[in-house]
Amino acid sequence: MRKTKILNIVFASILAILFLIPLVWMVSTSFKSDFEAIGGGTFFPQEFTIENYTSTLTSSSVPILRWLFNSLFVGFAGVTIVVVIDSMAAYALARLDVPFKKVLFPLFVSTLMIPWVITFLPLYQQFSNLGLLNTYAPLILPYSANAFGVFLLYQFFRSFPKELEEAARMDGANKWQIFMKVVIPSARPLIATLAIFTFMAIYNDFLWPLVTTNTPEMRTVTTGIAIMQQGSFVSSYGKLMALTTLATIPILIVFLIGQKWFIRGITQSGIK
Amino acid sequence: MKSKASGFTSFLFVLPYLIMFTLFLVIPLVYGIYISFHDWNLISPIHPFIGLENYSAIFTSGSPENRVFLNGLKNTAQFVIYSVPLLVIIGLGLAMLVNSLPEKIRGFFRTAYFLPFAISVSVIAVLWLWMLDSNSGLVNQFINSLGMDSIPWLTRLPFAWISLVIATVWWTIGFNMIIFINALNEVSEELYEAADIDGASSWHKFLHITLPSIRPIMIFVVITSTIASFNVYGQPYLMTRGGPGESTEVLLMGIVQQAFQLRQMGSAAAMAMLMALIMIVISVGQFLVTRSGERKEKNHA
Repeated sequence: MRKTKILNIVFASILAILFLIPLVWMVSTSFKSDFEAIGGGTFFPQEFTIENYTSTLTSSSVPILRWLFNSLFVGFAGVTIVVVIDSMAAYALARLDVPFKKVLFPLFVSTLMIPWVITFLPLYQQFSNLGLLNTYAPLILPYSANAFGVFLLYQFFRSFPKELEEAARMDGANKWQIFMKVVIPSARPLIATLAIFTFMAIYNDFLWPLVTTNTPEMRTVTTGIAIMQQGSFVSSYGKLMALTTLATIPILIVFLIGQKWFIRGITQSGIK
Repeated sequence: MKSKASGFTSFLFVLPYLIMFTLFLVIPLVYGIYISFHDWNLISPIHPFIGLENYSAIFTSGSPENRVFLNGLKNTAQFVIYSVPLLVIIGLGLAMLVNSLPEKIRGFFRTAYFLPFAISVSVIAVLWLWMLDSNSGLVNQFINSLGMDSIPWLTRLPFAWISLVIATVWWTIGFNMIIFINALNEVSEELYEAADIDGASSWHKFLHITLPSIRPIMIFVVITSTIASFNVYGQPYLMTRGGPGESTEVLLMGIVQQAFQLRQMGSAAAMAMLMALIMIVISVGQFLVTRSGERKEKNHA
């Protein structure tokens, strides 16, 4: 029994090293000169340099700070919209006397089964018709029509104790006050899960921002990297790795802080 | 009267979602079907109605649309077939491994395997391009140190597929692992204890207790992994550029090219409809097959 346990730990450790090596190598390469990076041979930089970072951060053709701003901005804006409209809709459908709610909830949830490839091109055409391509609108708004959050929170609100709402009603609170002061605070862990999920999805999305933006200033981090990788950075792995390291830091922070909720949220979401 | 007013204020809670739902789901859904029935050139302002011609072109053997669609579908199917079994089996394996570790260190390993999932596809692609670089990539450096020749990971078959699958498994396996860990934690301890008393082997316990207990999650993971693999785009677009030749050019790449390089929005929309239809049929099929298997088993018992 003991022996297998130790073997498991050894095996798990080897796997963990394999999983983390690419990321460590990314950071390690970002501190190498191009000469050393392309020469290969050593894992860690022999001559440690921050040149890749300084030149990337100051180059006018690589507006990395603007890209980071764009990604963070559309991420936060998208999360705000999703959290607000999803929690309101989910609560109302689960607990309030909404007309047609027996039709609306299944209608919303059934859209989870529609592959997004169907809406991808017509959405592009819609934004094009409105002259909104290459603005923040397409980078934020389409993510808001995702029924996942409604589904996730609906389950929770269904089982939310009625007594708490009753007590607030006795105190003269209206629906909106009950929602804001009683219901929302109780759903905090799930809302955090939804927020992190949504943020990661928007921050990391690739194809949609790639086709709806076309100037360097409007690119997000993810699409900016793809453009650089095919363009002027194609031969400089040192600079590319500095760029990918910079791109990864914000999302890694969000991920590590949110991990606990994220994991608990998946458990609670009723994926069974 | 009062209830009508109450119903109205309740409806206001749903209204914002309903508006977004209509604008960004219902309308594009209908609009997409509409576009697919038209000769829709992106630069021309006139889009003549052509009925089912976009669809029939896709099915006309030898037409450019037919070639793009079939080649893309064949390559996407290959990716699905290579990656889904690994994503499911390794995901479950990692979950069982993590669960077998002492509780104190579980969190660390779970995070280590889950971490790549947080990173965007373009970072993943750039990173693995570098890992697999034929001259100074870490993988070939290692292979060289064993006295073997470098492998052209991204420019030859079958290595191009192997590379895409390795990068994908490394990137996304953590998510399946988390789902499986949650499922494993809900399997009843009593069943295992009873099996221990009967002297069942661990393989026996896995086969007769663990697997049947996590079956619904298994269906979920298989279906979500299949859908995700069907949507593969970033990895081949950035890592192999669809090559060598057109051998890793997946369906989504074909559709995007049809729409934005050739500017044929109409036939691209028709391809997207067919792709979605195939995805729906496959996931419903997977669901029904695994469900009916379950029922048969119950009837036997």
